[in-house]
Amino acid sequence: MSEKMSLTKKMEELDKKTGWFYSDDFKLEESAERYKDAMALANDIKKDLNELKNEIEVLSEDFSK
Amino acid sequence: MTISPLKTAKADIPIPGEPPRFTPSTLIAAMNQTLEYAYEGALLVGEVASYKVNQGKWVFFDLKDEESSISCFMSIYQLRVPLEDGMKIVVRGVPKVTKWGKFSFTVSAIKPVGDGSIKKAFELLKKKLSDEGLFAPEKKRELPKDLTKLGVISSTGAAGYADFVKILNARWGGIHVQVAHTQVQGMDAPDQIIRALKYFNERSEVQVIAILRGGGSADDLSCFNDEELVRAIAASKIPVITGIGHEVDESLADLAADVRASTPSNAAEMLTPDREAVGYTVDMSVSRAESIIYNKIDAALERVDQPFDNIRRFIKQKIDFYHNMLFQKVKILEALNPEKVLRQGYAILSGKVSPGSVVNITTYDKEITAEVKEIHERKNVTN
Repeated sequence: MSEKMSLTKKMEELDKKTGWFYSDDFKLEESAERYKDAMALANDIKKDLNELKNEIEVLSEDFSK
Repeated sequence: MTISPLKTAKADIPIPGEPPRFTPSTLIAAMNQTLEYAYEGALLVGEVASYKVNQGKWVFFDLKDEESSISCFMSIYQLRVPLEDGMKIVVRGVPKVTKWGKFSFTVSAIKPVGDGSIKKAFELLKKKLSDEGLFAPEKKRELPKDLTKLGVISSTGAAGYADFVKILNARWGGIHVQVAHTQVQGMDAPDQIIRALKYFNERSEVQVIAILRGGGSADDLSCFNDEELVRAIAASKIPVITGIGHEVDESLADLAADVRASTPSNAAEMLTPDREAVGYTVDMSVSRAESIIYNKIDAALERVDQPFDNIRRFIKQKIDFYHNMLFQKVKILEALNPEKVLRQGYAILSGKVSPGSVVNITTYDKEITAEVKEIHERKNVTN
C-alpha cells in the first residue's frame, strides 16, 4: 500500500515538474537541469510500475455457515 | 419441529409378540422422524399450481408433474423469488405429515428452473425492486480512483476468478485483495454471498467489493437474481462492482450494483489503470517537456537573428531598386543610339540643303555624296 501511495505522490510530483515547462516561470537556462530531474523521476516511476505487486489474501472465514 | 427418537420410535404400550401400536400422534411423529432422516434437504422439481399467500405470512402452493401433485408450505420470509402458477421451480425442504394426517413438503428455499421460469421470475422481481427504487441511477457511486484495498467475492476455483486475478496483476499492483470464497451458483450461493457482503461491510476496510462469476447457463447465473442478495448489494455501505457472466447476461445483482462490468476480466479493467498506459503517459509528459525546450531554443535563436534578417532584407531591397533603375536607363540609352536608328533603314543627311548643293548621306553601311535637285514642302505632316 505504501508503495502505491508513494507512486501516486511521485506521479503528482512529475506533473508538477513537467507543469513548470508550460508555466510562465519557464527559464531556458534552468530547463536542462529541470528536464534531467523530471526524466530521473519518470524512470523511477516506470521502475515502480514494473515492480508493483498485488497481495491476495483468501479469507479463512467459512461463508457457508 | 424436532422430534425425540425416544418419544417417537416406540409404541405407547408395547405388547410382547404383537406389532407395535401407535396413537395418531406417535405414528405421525415416527413418520416425520423417518422422513426427515431419509429426505432432509431433498430437492423437488415441478410446476407451481394453486399458489397463494395466507395472512401475508404463509405461502401455499402445489408442485406437480404429469401424474402427481404435492402440497408445499413455506414462510413468506423464505420466499426470495416471485412465484406464479405455471412456473417450473426446484425447491429444497423436508417432506412432512401434518397433525391432521396430510402429507406436505415444508420448503426452505426455491429456485426457478428452465429459461422461461427464470425469465419470468427475473421480470417480476425486477419490476418489484425497480418500483422500490433499488436500481435508481442516482444511488450509484463511483469506484475509488486510488484503489489500495479490494474485497472480492467469488469461488476461488472458478475460471472467472482466475481471469480476474490474471488481468488485475497484469494491469496494476499495490492492492491488498481480500477474497471471500463462496459458491457462485446453486441454492446456497445467495446466502454465502450475503454473508461475505456483511463481512466486508462490518469487518474490513476495503474500498470496493467485486462480486465475480464467469459465464454459465441462465440456471447457473440465476442465484444472482435472489431477492435478498439483490437487496444486500443495494444496501452495501461499500460500493459494489459486479462482473457476472458475459456481456449479454444481465442479473438483478448487476442492476443493484454501483457499477456493472460485463465479465470478471472487465471488472479488473474497470478497477485499475493499465501500468503500460501509465508508463506511456509518463514517457509522453517528459517528451513534451523536451519538445518545449527545443521550441523555446528555436524561438530564442529566431529572436537573435531577427534584426540581422531585417538589415539583410533592407540592403537587398535597395540593391534591387538600383539595379532596376540602371536597367531602365540602359534601355533608354540603347533606344537613342543613332546606329540603332540607321539599322532600321533611316539615313542621316548633312550639308546645306538647297537646289544644286552637294550633301552627305550616311546610311547603316554607306557614305553617299549627293547633289540636291529640288526641294518641296511635305504635305500632311503629323506631329
